[in-house]
Amino acid sequence: MSELNQTQEGALEPQETEHHEGYFELVWRKFRKSKPAIIGAVMVVLLAVLSLFSDFFSPTDPMELNLQGSFTPPQRIHFVDEAGTWHLRPFTYLQYVDLDLETFAPIWSEDRSQTYDLKFFVRGWEYKLLGLIPMDLHLYGVEEGGTVYILGTDKFGRDVWGRACRAGRISLSMALFGTLISIAAGSVLGVVSGYYGGWIDNLLQRFVEMVRSFPQLPLWMALSAIIPPTWDSLSIFVMMSIIFALLSWTTLAREVRGKVMAFRETDFILAAKEMGASDARIIFVHLYPNCLSHIIVVLTMSIPSIIMAEAFLSFLGIGIQEPWVSWGLMMHSAQNLETLGGHPWIMIPVVFIVVAVLGFNFLGDGLRDAADPYAIVR
Amino acid sequence: MINYILRRLVMAVFVLIMISLVSFIVIQLPPGDFAQNYKRQLINRSGMAEEDAEAAADLFRERYGLNDPVPIQYFNWVWGIVTRGDFGYSMSYSRDVGELIAERLPRTLLLALLAHLTSSIIGITVGIFVAPRQYSLSDNVASFFAFLFTSVPRFWIALVLIYLLVFTFGQQHVSSFHSPQYALAPWSWAKLWDFIQHIWPVIFIAGLGGIARNMRVMRGNLLDVLNAQYVTTARSKGLRESAVLMRHAVPNAMHPIVMNQGLALPYMVQGELQAAVVMSIPSISPMFYDSLIFQDIYVTGSILLMYGVLLVVGNLLADIALALLDPRIRYS
Repeated sequence: MSELNQTQEGALEPQETEHHEGYFELVWRKFRKSKPAIIGAVMVVLLAVLSLFSDFFSPTDPMELNLQGSFTPPQRIHFVDEAGTWHLRPFTYLQYVDLDLETFAPIWSEDRSQTYDLKFFVRGWEYKLLGLIPMDLHLYGVEEGGTVYILGTDKFGRDVWGRACRAGRISLSMALFGTLISIAAGSVLGVVSGYYGGWIDNLLQRFVEMVRSFPQLPLWMALSAIIPPTWDSLSIFVMMSIIFALLSWTTLAREVRGKVMAFRETDFILAAKEMGASDARIIFVHLYPNCLSHIIVVLTMSIPSIIMAEAFLSFLGIGIQEPWVSWGLMMHSAQNLETLGGHPWIMIPVVFIVVAVLGFNFLGDGLRDAADPYAIVR
Repeated sequence: MINYILRRLVMAVFVLIMISLVSFIVIQLPPGDFAQNYKRQLINRSGMAEEDAEAAADLFRERYGLNDPVPIQYFNWVWGIVTRGDFGYSMSYSRDVGELIAERLPRTLLLALLAHLTSSIIGITVGIFVAPRQYSLSDNVASFFAFLFTSVPRFWIALVLIYLLVFTFGQQHVSSFHSPQYALAPWSWAKLWDFIQHIWPVIFIAGLGGIARNMRVMRGNLLDVLNAQYVTTARSKGLRESAVLMRHAVPNAMHPIVMNQGLALPYMVQGELQAAVVMSIPSISPMFYDSLIFQDIYVTGSILLMYGVLLVVGNLLADIALALLDPRIRYS
């Protein structure tokens, strides 16, 4: 593509042979150099792949109840069997539960009599890839009769690993959806405020200040507690995204306003005005695209706060409701001290939250530095 | 200066009116009114007959003016708060909401302020320590932990702490301010120590993120200041490095920290909220959460309003402090 452009330009202006790097090439060049940014991007992509193809990565159906296997601790993957021989193919043992006769606490032990080989790319329960293509292929599985719960199971005997992968769909898409709404609102109001100035700007800025002084987390809690839990999951999801967007558009509105105010006085906007372009044209054709890189940066930076807030609300039970699953909701049962004490592995989904938050923060930092490739590095 | 403070005060009053309006709208949103909940509760809890409960609910509507149009109700509510300190009536506690808030708000404030204080002191100290050692081992370790502390959900840290305290160290009475034997005792050193033993987890959790933020801000500013020419001048005069740092660089790097104080308070209050709800320490936060679950609407609305007041007052104080500290601030 760039070669094509170059030849065309070359044909028009034969004296110009030097290749000029476009904006996105410059951004990519700068982005590539920052190690944290690359790590962040890898983390985000990893989580996105895990959650998009969660069915492929989970050996058992993460939605199917299995009450016999309630609260199985994480299973160990063995290489060496009872006799001391080393297996090239890893295997698992079946686990069985005993009650401690004094405390009635369940004690899990491994049944060492039979090994179950771990297999890769096996056929198992059926699902639809991306909701479209029927498939039954899974990354890993275990021989008939055995179980493999690498992160243990929850109260209803469902695989924590598979559910955590699946929960990423809700947790990540809610954060993305919420930020998209807040960007739609924030960027429009920001551009309007910066472009028109005067009393419109004054009014909008006072309004922004007002919204900013609302207590964010308590208001989020109050609003999402109002949503009737009897609603269907999709409505709750959309409603929660809107609630998150309601209080988080202000940062963007401010930043975009600043950018637009700087652009308003530049020559190319003046030129557009002199040529008789309408306000709408100037805003959407000239100003908006110039703010876009900035908007993308703010998008990446504001996703973590929504992920955290959603996790807290769902953890409290006033967010996402079953049968949908989010990272916070998976830890809901940890609120009960007895459950937590006996089964600490139900707190594992936090690792996914931390990876997501760190990933988006690193990525955002890198993008912020790269979005302005013309800046002189000190 | 006086003019500036006055203008900020007027602005704050407007914001408070908006917040009270939003709080009231939030508690009016759920279907059914307060008296209906009251009626349901009478039937469920005390086994009252349907008609009697209805009559009691009507009495209730009469007494609290629930038959009035909603705007009038709003004015009555705000008027009651402003003139008589009457926030409404709590169903779950069968008490006046004002009393409940007066009892619990100081605890929340104490916890948030203590968290704020410790996190500022530790964060600034670490920032001052690592800034002159940029990219050294200590700097990298501090940066790593700063990133980690801000990425781990605070409710989760609270869970882990409870788990450790209860199941590893066998501490009982996690979710209270005192052990039972000190509950009614007058204040003494032993009681204070017991108190500290109970509140440190909340302060720790709320403060962790604050330490990281303060450290990052302090480190960044100090790095900027250390590159300034007057610092080079101070060095070339032959001053000791510690004098250059503490006398010339640090005071000039403090302004953004002060500016951040207004933002730090809500951060601490939110941290206290998360930690206290999980640990159910009897501060205002678990009461807020319970009121959401049981639709105890006047408690919800009043506490939302209180959080708003905290924020507005915090911002106001930070602005004034900054104006006093930094003569370059223009009062416009």
